[in-house]
Amino acid sequence: MSTKHPSCRAIELDLVATATGDAEPRAAERVHRHLDTCAECRDEFGRYRAVDSVARGLRSTPPADALAKSRAGLESRLADLKQRRVAYRIFPSPLGHILVGRSEHGIAVVEYLHGGSSLRASRLARVEGIEPVPGGPELERLQRDLLEFIGGRRRDLDWTLDWRLARSDFERAVLEATAAIPYGAVASYAGVARRIGKPSAVRAVAQALRWNPLPIVVPCHRVIGTSGRLTGYAGDKLGLKQQLLSVEGVKLHTARRDASVAREAMYALGEGETEYCLPTCGSIGTRSLALLTLFASRADAEARGYAPCTNCRPDLHPL
Amino acid sequence: MGLQPFETVVTAHHAEIYRYLLRVTSRSGDADDLSQETFLRAYRAWGGLDDGANVRAWLFTIATNLARNYFRSESRRRRAYAGVGEIRTDVDPASPEEARRFRETRALVERVVDGLPLKQRLAFVLRKLHDLEYDAIGKSLECSPESARAHVFQALKKIRLGLNGHELPMMESVR
Repeated sequence: MSTKHPSCRAIELDLVATATGDAEPRAAERVHRHLDTCAECRDEFGRYRAVDSVARGLRSTPPADALAKSRAGLESRLADLKQRRVAYRIFPSPLGHILVGRSEHGIAVVEYLHGGSSLRASRLARVEGIEPVPGGPELERLQRDLLEFIGGRRRDLDWTLDWRLARSDFERAVLEATAAIPYGAVASYAGVARRIGKPSAVRAVAQALRWNPLPIVVPCHRVIGTSGRLTGYAGDKLGLKQQLLSVEGVKLHTARRDASVAREAMYALGEGETEYCLPTCGSIGTRSLALLTLFASRADAEARGYAPCTNCRPDLHPL
Repeated sequence: MGLQPFETVVTAHHAEIYRYLLRVTSRSGDADDLSQETFLRAYRAWGGLDDGANVRAWLFTIATNLARNYFRSESRRRRAYAGVGEIRTDVDPASPEEARRFRETRALVERVVDGLPLKQRLAFVLRKLHDLEYDAIGKSLECSPESARAHVFQALKKIRLGLNGHELPMMESVR
């Protein structure tokens, strides 16, 4: 349809670009050389100049009130999202893939991932009121801390915790009592139930720990049955419980599909007492585990301010 | 990223993204929704953004994606087309005669722009109204910078044809 001269057609794209301030300098030079000799293209150039100017004139300023309203709406939705946001990081560990998540308020979740290494394998993706977002390098420290802990090179995870994933006050109380069990020590579900003032709620304590949103940090692996058996962990991950306790130096008897704490190889601390004993001290060897905390080492007990018993003298006759 | 608080991103870019989406949708309610959604998405992805990323171009990419989804509904396209003229623009030429001519031309241009195929229209708006670089426009539209340039060229050509026979406002001389 165009009756233009071939040289005009050849330069059309550059002409438009030049007229609308969008051309490379060399192309612009070519165009201007052509314009010097071609009145038709000069006219066309002028029209494109006008088009460009009118087009740029379409720049509009939205009404200030509409803009302010939109901004306010955004701020409020952002604040809400921020409240719900949990930045997470997934990394491999000797215990399998682990997800760690942090909210504005602290570490909200640690999770062993089953059958996958993405968020989809995580419970976090399905928790109501939580908005999981991939975390940045600020979560690297958490990964490092956890790997050091699992490797036995770190004893404390001095993290600020966000308890929002605890599903009830009861659950939160169980988690906090569990968090107070020291490194290298074990207590029983019955013992935790006593500590939160609900001595008959042993099964409920076990259930609460089954859904522990912060394993490792809230050391539910340090909670065992009154028989000394390790019983459950993170559903079906008894092996992990065994690994974590071994790292902390807790002595275990392991049978084929079962493991229990070797209480004869652990120091014992009676409920409400301030001195720890040898497992042979008085009647302590026969006392229910509901009433005891067992320590793998003297150092672990003394780190918590407990003194050696003045009768059995674990300081003079260490295990 | 994480070094720069997200609030500064909102402060720096919200008005422009809103303006873009208002131009594209022609409806303040939709510009409101889409601009908020743009920043909520950006916030979610903020932690994973590379240092030194072009935040402004990145926001335009998110906004453009949302706009394209929005226009998957054909009825919205028609509605946006019908909404032309609701938006006030800034330029005010000196004489009343010139101003009238400018307004007429602008209305004509708006009709052409709003009738453009979506990619051409978005490329045109991103380039001419927001001065985005062609590689950023390409990223937004999932095409090469060259294709982005071609979209803008096509848009300008159609506008130019749409103005055939219409007396244009006076421009300064060719050089």
